[in-house]
Amino acid sequence: MKKEDTVKLISADGFEFVIDKKAAMVSQTIRNMLTSPGSFAETQHGEVTFPEISTTILEKICQYFYWSLQYARSISVGSGKETEFHIEPELTLELMMAANYLHT
Amino acid sequence: MMGGACSRKRDQQVNEDSGNRGIYGRYCKSGSSKWLGNSISRLAVDNKQGKTKCPSLMELCIYKIREDIDKYSSFSMLPRDISQQIFNELVYSQCLTEVSLGAFRDCALQDLDLGEYPGLEDSWMDVISSQELSLLSVDLSGSDVTDSGLIHLKNCTNLQAMNFNYSDQISDHGLEHISGLSNLATLSFRRNNQITAQGLSVLSGLVNLLKLDLERCPGIHGGLVHLKGLTKLESLNIKCCNCITDADMKPLSGLTNLKELQISSSKVSDYGVTFLKGLHKLSLLNMEGCPVTAACLDCLAVEMCGVDLISSLFCPALPALLYLNLSRCNLSDDGCEKISGNTLIAQSNLLSVMCSVGLRKLKVLNLGFNDITDAYLVHLRGLQRLRCLELSDTEVGSNGLRHLAGLTSLVSINLSFTVVTDSGLKKLSGLASLTSLNLDARQITDAGLASLTSLTGLMHLDLFGARITDSGTNYLKNFKNLRSLEICGGGLTDAGVKNIKDLSSLTVLNLSQNNNLTDKTLELISGLTQLVSLNVSNSRITTAGLQHLRSLKNLKSLNLDSCKVTAYDIEKLQSTDLPNLVSFRPE
Repeated sequence: MKKEDTVKLISADGFEFVIDKKAAMVSQTIRNMLTSPGSFAETQHGEVTFPEISTTILEKICQYFYWSLQYARSISVGSGKETEFHIEPELTLELMMAANYLHT
Repeated sequence: MMGGACSRKRDQQVNEDSGNRGIYGRYCKSGSSKWLGNSISRLAVDNKQGKTKCPSLMELCIYKIREDIDKYSSFSMLPRDISQQIFNELVYSQCLTEVSLGAFRDCALQDLDLGEYPGLEDSWMDVISSQELSLLSVDLSGSDVTDSGLIHLKNCTNLQAMNFNYSDQISDHGLEHISGLSNLATLSFRRNNQITAQGLSVLSGLVNLLKLDLERCPGIHGGLVHLKGLTKLESLNIKCCNCITDADMKPLSGLTNLKELQISSSKVSDYGVTFLKGLHKLSLLNMEGCPVTAACLDCLAVEMCGVDLISSLFCPALPALLYLNLSRCNLSDDGCEKISGNTLIAQSNLLSVMCSVGLRKLKVLNLGFNDITDAYLVHLRGLQRLRCLELSDTEVGSNGLRHLAGLTSLVSINLSFTVVTDSGLKKLSGLASLTSLNLDARQITDAGLASLTSLTGLMHLDLFGARITDSGTNYLKNFKNLRSLEICGGGLTDAGVKNIKDLSSLTVLNLSQNNNLTDKTLELISGLTQLVSLNVSNSRITTAGLQHLRSLKNLKSLNLDSCKVTAYDIEKLQSTDLPNLVSFRPE
């Protein structure tokens, strides 16, 4: 994987998630950060820090990104193999706030 | 908080007419309840878009909360826009109960759209009012909320919109509690038997009202005087109150910002209409079923500036009027009568000029169910901007149609149950903008259809009772844009359906009452995959023919009454091949 094809998402407690850019772009907010013509530091370094998102939640969000890509792929080939995305009840509220922020 | 950073736009205002109902109205003639409508449309959306669009993480979280709703005691720590979305989902899926509502205490919600929500009563009002100054709109329509329930809303002084339609337990006393809600811009309490003229006195303090809906309130005669100071008012609905008279029109004369006025099925006569002459912004006037005569049309067209008729031509009374409904009134061919002291014996053609000058912007005119004949249509000749014309159930015949020949803006004409014959239809052949034509009349035959072949833009053609035969269907081939077609005169056989099978844009097809149609018909139309509604009742269709419907994946409504088909057969087809089918007969 080439470096420019990935992005680094950093949680509040400093944990780094390196994921495909394509996956990260599922989030409208991250997409805007990475593609806006301005001089966002994020655009240049391919790094986004989320001081308000915990590691647990950010991991869950990354899982969602990949699940979402897989879902779309399965729809496009009509395989009918869409899986469910599991959400732990105790994470729901915090995850929702992050999802709202990320436009995801 | 993160959520607060990107607060979403308030896109959900209290809405007195459920949008879903509107959409479904076209396909289902029987009214369905709001909730049925919702669940139907959602199902369709899930099937149509849900398959192609991935649910957002936000949506997944909200569904998860709905599943575990019992585990949550409060959402007040959430940003408002998130708790609002959870609330909306619970209402939408009908999972909200008095208990789960408790979790929304002090959530600063803005919109509580609880219209026709099952179980809503006074005990819910405490949590509703805890939204306090955040609350902008509330819909309590169809609930059991009483006068004392409304007390709670006193402190929600930022309320802009409030509906309590069909709320039988709210009376004048309840209205008193909302007298301080002076930010209200929309207020609606349709079908209320208890509210009287005295109750309406609270309205005089609601000076920011833009929209007031008092439809079907039979006790309000005399109460409209309290509207006098509401000069911002843009829309007033006092339809079907059965008590509104000419005297009630007088206080409306100063409401010069009115754009929409609905007074249908009231006792307002020509005299009452004279009070409306100063409403220069009025664009919609609905007087269906009022005892007004042709003189009223004259009065609406021209403000009587003086005795000099010619000069008065240039001061139209209602210059902004776009929609005029005079259906089921007392219109006849007689020209003018006595109007408020001005005795006018107008010549037919003068009246015609007056109409064309005074109402020249008119887009929609409904003259249905009146005793008017061809002579009356002379008055319409100058209405160059007219788009929709309803003449159903009048005595209008073929001769009158020549007056419409020049109205080239016409998009829709309804000539059902008129005395128009085949020979008259030629005069419509130049109306190239027509997309909708209703010719539901027994005397219309194949010959009439033959003269309409130039109307290639037609999207809706209603020949319900017309005597169309197989040979007439040859002309249908010209109407490639047809979305809906009804031919139910009994004269069609499978051979005629061959000419329908290539009208691939059809979404609504009604071939009922043609009792010679067989399974072959279903085979022929199996390629019309856009069909949403199909009716072939009273025919020789059998269970064996149903297989041909498998390809009609968009079908929502299917009527095969009085055929050799059982409900069981259709249910089977529904489960295997027609996932969108929601209404069928036999049932």
